[in-house]
Amino acid sequence: MAITASITLTSGANDLVTDALALATSSSLSKAGATTALSNTTGLARKTTTTTDQFILLNADNFTADKAHKLYIKNTSTVADQFFTIHIDDEKLGLMYAGDWALIPWAATNGVKAAFTVTFAATWATADTAVFDGVTIALGSTATTAAMAILVAAARYPNFTATVNGSVVTFTAKDSNDLSLIEEGAASDDYVITTNGNGTGTVARVAGTPVASANDIKITPGQAVNTIEYMLFYE
Amino acid sequence: MATTTAAVTLSSDLLSGSLSVTGTTTLMKAGTTADGLNQMRMGRNEIPTGTSFDLLDATAAGIDKANKVYISNESTDTSYYVIIIIDAKVIGRLYGGDWMFLPWNMDDATHDLELTSYVGTNTIEWVKFHENETLTTQGD
Repeated sequence: MAITASITLTSGANDLVTDALALATSSSLSKAGATTALSNTTGLARKTTTTTDQFILLNADNFTADKAHKLYIKNTSTVADQFFTIHIDDEKLGLMYAGDWALIPWAATNGVKAAFTVTFAATWATADTAVFDGVTIALGSTATTAAMAILVAAARYPNFTATVNGSVVTFTAKDSNDLSLIEEGAASDDYVITTNGNGTGTVARVAGTPVASANDIKITPGQAVNTIEYMLFYE
Repeated sequence: MATTTAAVTLSSDLLSGSLSVTGTTTLMKAGTTADGLNQMRMGRNEIPTGTSFDLLDATAAGIDKANKVYISNESTDTSYYVIIIIDAKVIGRLYGGDWMFLPWNMDDATHDLELTSYVGTNTIEWVKFHENETLTTQGD
């Protein structure tokens, strides 16, 4: 497989400068430090905005950091003063006016996702519940502590993933930009358990401070309606 | 009007169907079709490892303009790379043979475009198309 990216920069004689300018470069988009082609692409995508609110075009967490990723992006507008601003995190990279395109290397530096554990202990009974991230888990007839941990980990949460090891469930945020810290202890307001007997679920944050992704690609439209085409080649 | 054209072609057999994307733009001053970017700098540099260098200094005159920068890493060893940095923010890596073309907004005077070389001495070629640059007054 191969991906070829070619650019020509041209200007006629007595135009930008006295002599004609003609630069042409062609590159094979390869994996970091290798001669083999980048093997993945998002495909060519198109997004039309409806507000001037900034949004995340590409979340760095979804890609491996410090590779040879390349982003092609274009402002498809034909109205000269229509633009959008492209940012890497909160760093303004530049303004892209109607018709402008860019090919940008992208580090995709990942953040550190928030994580915490819940340790289930003592005796959990039928109909005891645990509520988190909008999901309620109720223990059924297999009334054991380990069964509760398995049920909790098997559920699908909107903003977290969960894994189980014995009676301990580890929750990890799906997005490092979610920096909400979970209240720790046996009576957490964030992870709410209700038991009829003496069952407990003790919350503890996993060591290490979560860090928001500092390399997301963000777009701020200069006007409400803006159409952006983009394609990421990545490994 | 100064007319400079930047054209790109991306083609690949990565997908089961053919991939071919083209883009062509005339480098205009911000928000107009009547006046093209009319200033340019270009160069070729050898970048040794171990230090982060300013390749292009930001100037307040460049804030919110439509400036464009082209950089090509001419190193023939594909393990060599430079990291592109703007105002301490890592943008990405350009390996030997790679090129980039991006808009550059000089958000403030610290918004310099910097390079750090890795593995060995990288050779880069670059062009900046811009408007509104005033030369610095002689200091000595």
